[in-house]
Order: sequence, then structure tokens, then C-alpha cells
Amino acid sequence: MGGMVSEWSDQELGQQIGAGRDEAAEAELVRRMGPRIRLYGMRHLRDESAADDLVQQVLITTLEALREGRLREVSKLASFVLGTCRMTVLDLRRNTRRKEELLEKYGPWSIAPAAAPAPALDRAQLTQCVERLKERERAVVMMTFFEEEGGAGVARFLGVSEANVRVIRHRAIHQLRGCMGVAA
Amino acid sequence: MNCANPLDAAILFDYWAGKLSEPEEAVLEEHLLSCDPCGERLKEAIALAEGLRSVAREGALQTVVSEAFVTRAMQDGLRVRQYVVAANGSVQCTVAEEDDLLIGRLEADLRGVQRVDLSLQDARGAEMRRLLDIPFDTEAGSVLWQQSITLAKAAPSGTLVARLVAVEGDGERVIGEYTFHHTRTMPGPGAW
Repeated sequence: MGGMVSEWSDQELGQQIGAGRDEAAEAELVRRMGPRIRLYGMRHLRDESAADDLVQQVLITTLEALREGRLREVSKLASFVLGTCRMTVLDLRRNTRRKEELLEKYGPWSIAPAAAPAPALDRAQLTQCVERLKERERAVVMMTFFEEEGGAGVARFLGVSEANVRVIRHRAIHQLRGCMGVAA
Repeated sequence: MNCANPLDAAILFDYWAGKLSEPEEAVLEEHLLSCDPCGERLKEAIALAEGLRSVAREGALQTVVSEAFVTRAMQDGLRVRQYVVAANGSVQCTVAEEDDLLIGRLEADLRGVQRVDLSLQDARGAEMRRLLDIPFDTEAGSVLWQQSITLAKAAPSGTLVARLVAVEGDGERVIGEYTFHHTRTMPGPGAW
């Protein structure tokens, strides 16, 4: 394969690693996959150190599979990594039973989250933008963080279907992004 | 580098908030594991979601909320101060520094009503703000109004009147009027 390693696709990196130990290709794959796996970990584990553990374990498993030629279709690399993430999250949760009890009791959304992997928005501006929403849109957005899974409670409260709650929430999110000056 | 089919920002918000079905999550996650531009879009969605979460927990907004919202907030450890007011009644109220949410429980018969506005007036009857077409549960027997805890903590002693107004085809009628006599008990002078 020609060109710089940084310009290769994920599949090309995987093929190169499978063809024989290539430290540059492995380093590039780690550089790309690490942050992606970390975002997955933050979503499902809500904990920075647990997400870091997930990154390490998944990358090790993926590299070993590529080196040993066990990944038959390199084009399905993302699918393999996703499956490995899921299994590893289950293992990590099994090993942290107390945190799982909290997650089950309060839901992954309502316990204090780890620091968001993105710069914080201007809180005062965001509050003003939320104030500008229509009442039902504001209620849906605010209750997103204090409702049971599935949104049935919010739907009942508004007298609409759960599908309509999603439509209302999406409309509100796009309006808020526009108000905050975020590109579409 | 751009993505040929970038993931919608609202869908990414739903993903972060745990609102997608498992099949929807699976498709989205597989895409995110191979697309850095969409990963950046997810980070923007996370910033918005976490910002909104903080705003929701701060109790600074004036908004109508559900019973489940209040219950869940208390389960999450937030200190919720509630005042129950009968239709055309009044209540003596205050707010403390450690309060997180301030809820007015406005008792009202909402059966047969299609649309309700919440009008907020000063002691002289001048409307300061109207919340249009508020959500309500006809069987609940009350409307839960979250007052801004930020404003309440800053406010001097005074009177606020809330009116639930049924908006009907040919006009509107007052369902109930609720008077809050606020006494400042926090240290320092109140000021807007």
C-alpha cells in the first residue's frame, strides 16, 4: 500500500496488520480507534477511568485478532470492535457490582456524569435559549433528564404519542443548536 | 474530512441521553466506530446534553413539570420545596439557600379543558409573563409549576399571582387564581 499510513482507510490498516507485524499501522489504528471506543465507553459506563479501561482492553483484543488473522473480513472491523466493546462493557460491569446497583436504581442518565468529552457551553446563553422554546418543547427537553426509560411518562403528560415526543424533542434540539450558534 | 451521511444532531442527542432503541443504537455505534467527523458531531451533542442536564437540575427555568419529574428529582437527591395552593387561594412562601427546585402545586379542575395558559402577574394585576399552551394532565387535579429558584432566591419580599386560563374558541376564562406571598428569609437585601 502506498501513501502515508495516516491516509489509509481503517480496512487498509487492518489488512496491513494482518499481513505481518507493522508498528506504524498498529499505532495509527490505535490513534483512530482509541477516541471512538472511549466515546462508546463514556456512553455506556459514564465513568472516565472505566472508559479508559475499555479502550485498553478492546484495542488489545482487536490487535491480537488482526495479527493472528482471526478477523476474516477486515471490512467488518467496526462491527468486530463494536461486538468487543459490548462484551467488555459487560465484563467491566460484572466487576463493579456496586456501581451497577446504582445504575439500576437511578439509571445511567441521572447519576452524576463524568466530565463531558467536549467543551462546556455558555450556561447563561443556553438558559436563555431554553427560555425561548415553546412550553411543550421546553417541558420535553427538561423532562428528558428526569423520566423513566421509553418516554411513556412524558407522552402521557403531554397527551401525545411517544413518537410525537421524539419529534417535539428533535425540533427543540435543532432550535437550541441554532440559538447557540452551532452549525447544522 | 467529511462524512457522506452525517448523523443527525438530534439523533446523537437521543443516543447520549439513552433514548434510542437497541437496534437504532447498534447501527449508530457501528457508524461512530468508523467515522471521526460524526464523532465530533457526537461531542457537540454531548456538550448540549450535559449543558441542558445542568440547566434542568439548577431549577432556574419557569416551566410546567410532571409529577414524575418532581418524584424523580427528589429520588436523585435534589431538595424540592413545594407549595400547594387551592384555586383562588393563597400561600405564605419563602425559599432557602439549600433549595434546588421550587414547585407551586396549583389545584385545578381541568376536565374538559383543551388548552391552558399560565399567566404570571404582579400584585397590581399586571401580567409579567404568560406561558402559552402548557402541558397538563386532566386527571391530576393540579398543575405543577416550577418557579425559577434563581429569581426566587434573589427576590425581595412581595406578592406574585399565577392564573390558570382556559383558552377556548371564543375567548378565555380563568380556571383559578393562586397568590404567593413571598417573604425573603435569605440573608442580604433582595434585588432584581
